[in-house]
Amino acid sequence: MAIIIDLDIEKCSACGACAVACMDQNDIDTQRCEAPFRVVFDLEQTDSQGHCKYTYMATACMHCTDAPCITACPCGCLSKDASTGLTVFDNTSCIGCHSCAMACPFGAPSFSAEGKMQKCDGCATRIHCGLEPACVRNCPTGALRCVEDTDYKEEHIERSLKRLASLIQP
Amino acid sequence: MQRTAIIGFGCAGFHAVKSLRAHGYSGEIHVYSNTGEPPANPMLTTYYVAGKLPYDGMFPFGTLESLQDEYDLVLHQNSPVTALDSHTRQIVLEDGSTACFDHIVLATGASALVPPIPGADHPGVFCMRTVRDAEALQKRLESGVRSAVVIGASMVGIKLVELLHRRGIQVTLADMAPHIFPTAALPEVAAEIERRLDGLGINLRFSQPIQAIEQTDHGLDVCLGGGTRLPCDIALMCIGTRANTQLADSGIQLGRGIVVDQHMQTSAPGIYAAGDCCEGYNLLSGQTQIIGLWDNAARQGETAGANIAGAVSTSYPGNITHNITHFMDMDFIGLGDIRIQGQRRIFDLPNGRGRVDLVTSGNRLVCVNILDNYRISGVLKRYLLKTLTEENARLGPAGRGRLEREGVPAALIDYLEGLN
Repeated sequence: MAIIIDLDIEKCSACGACAVACMDQNDIDTQRCEAPFRVVFDLEQTDSQGHCKYTYMATACMHCTDAPCITACPCGCLSKDASTGLTVFDNTSCIGCHSCAMACPFGAPSFSAEGKMQKCDGCATRIHCGLEPACVRNCPTGALRCVEDTDYKEEHIERSLKRLASLIQP
Repeated sequence: MQRTAIIGFGCAGFHAVKSLRAHGYSGEIHVYSNTGEPPANPMLTTYYVAGKLPYDGMFPFGTLESLQDEYDLVLHQNSPVTALDSHTRQIVLEDGSTACFDHIVLATGASALVPPIPGADHPGVFCMRTVRDAEALQKRLESGVRSAVVIGASMVGIKLVELLHRRGIQVTLADMAPHIFPTAALPEVAAEIERRLDGLGINLRFSQPIQAIEQTDHGLDVCLGGGTRLPCDIALMCIGTRANTQLADSGIQLGRGIVVDQHMQTSAPGIYAAGDCCEGYNLLSGQTQIIGLWDNAARQGETAGANIAGAVSTSYPGNITHNITHFMDMDFIGLGDIRIQGQRRIFDLPNGRGRVDLVTSGNRLVCVNILDNYRISGVLKRYLLKTLTEENARLGPAGRGRLEREGVPAALIDYLEGLN
C-alpha cells in the first residue's frame, strides 16, 4: 500500500486551515520562527491576453517514490515508511547541513529552532492508527484528501477516458 | 553462481550492494574494504570533531553486522585490492591471493590531496577525509591548541575554520586561489563571505601559494609565497581530493577519474565504477567529470548495482555540480559551473533574506549562487536541471509559489522563466 495526499486545486481557496492544523498536530513553535510543513499560497498571473489568473494551492512534502532527500541526507535521517510509502524521518543524527533542502524540488524540508530538520511525514502515526492526516481532516472544501495509490491511478485513468470521450464526441 | 566484487565500501559501494539485492540479484556479493569499518561519510568527520555527532554517527548506514545480515555479503575487511586485470576480471590482494568475478564495481572513492611541499608530513599537519583523520585531530585538539592554519578554502576547510573558531582557537584560512570556494562561488559572492569572516576575526590569506611547513621553537610556520610566515600550533590540509584510480589498468579508460557511461560501465566489459573515483556526465558541459558529491555517489552506485542485476534500462543521465554548506550562521549554495563566462545578474532578497546571483550564457542558465536562503535552493536546482533536459522549462505553480513565498522578487522569477 502507498498513500497519496492529493490536492484538487479547483477546490482549494488557500484558506490556511490545513496549515493551522499542521501547526497544531506537529507542535510548530511559531514564536521561534518555525513554519508549518504545509505551505499555503495564491498566485496571480497574467496570461498572454492580459487576463488575470489566480491559482490557490497548499503544498507540502510530495512523498516522492524515489525521494531525492533520502539519498541526499549525509546522515541517513530520512527513509520510507514501509507500510504507507510516506517519507518519514528521525532527526537524531541531523547535523543541520540543509542538503535535503537543496535536494527537494519543492522546498519541503524545514528546520526547527534548534537547527534540526523536520518535515511533513504525512501524519504517518495518525494513518497507522486509522486516522486521516491533520491537514486532510481539517480541509473545509474537501480539496485535500488521502487516497491509496492504486485507487488514485484508477481514478486518473477513468478521468482521462472521460476527457477523451468528451473531446472526440461529435 | 554469479559473483560480483564491490571494491571500496563507502556511499557508492553501499548503494551498489543495496541496489543489487533490491533488483533480485541472487549471486555472491564480495565486498573488499581497506578498513574494518562500515561505510562512512567523509563529510561527517568535521561534525564529529565539532562534537555535533557521536562516533557511530559517521556511519550512516549502520554496522557491518547489520549490513551483512540484510544484504548477505561476503565481507573482506582490511583487505586492500592491489591489482586488477580488466580482461579476466581477476583481482589480487595484498597477500598475493587472487579471485575472479563476473562483475566488478570500482567504488574506491577519493583521498585527501596533500601537496608535495617540504614539511607536509610533519605530525602537526592534519588532513580531514577519513575517520582516522577525524580521530587524530580530535585527540590533538584535546591536548590544547591556540592557533591553526587551514590550508584550502574548500567546503571542508570552512567547516574546520568554524569548529576551530568555536573552540576559541586563532584561525587563519589560506589558499592559493584569490577567493574562498574557488570552484563554486562567484567572485562577488566570495567577497561578501570573506567580508563576514573577516568581521568574525578569521585571518584570510588568498592568492599566495603554500611553499613549505617548517618546525620552529614555538610550533610550526606555514610558509607562503612572497615570504609570509604564519606561525601556528597545527596546520590542516584540505585543498581537495584525488580519485583513487590505481586499480585501473590499460584496459580501463581513465581521465582524472575512471570514465563511465550512463550505466556506470567502464570501457572494460563487466567492470563498473561509481562514486568519487569515477567521471560521469556533467549535464551542463556534456563531458565526463568527477562530481564528488554524496548524493551523486549514491545514484551512481544504485545504477551500477541495477545494471549488474539486469534491471532493464537503468541509466543515470548525469548531474551538475552543486554544493550547499552551512557555516557560522551562513548558507552558501553553488549550482552549475562558475567557469562558463556569461551575463551576470544579482538579486537581493528583501528583509535580509539573502541574495541570488545568476550567470546566463546564450540564453541558458549556467550558474546560480545563493547566499543565506537554503529554502529556495531545491526549487532553483530543480529548475536548472529542467532547463538542461526540457525545451521551454517552467517553474510551474508550485515552484513559483514557493519562491514568491520566500520573498524572491517577481523580477528574478520572470527573468528565470523568460530565459528559454
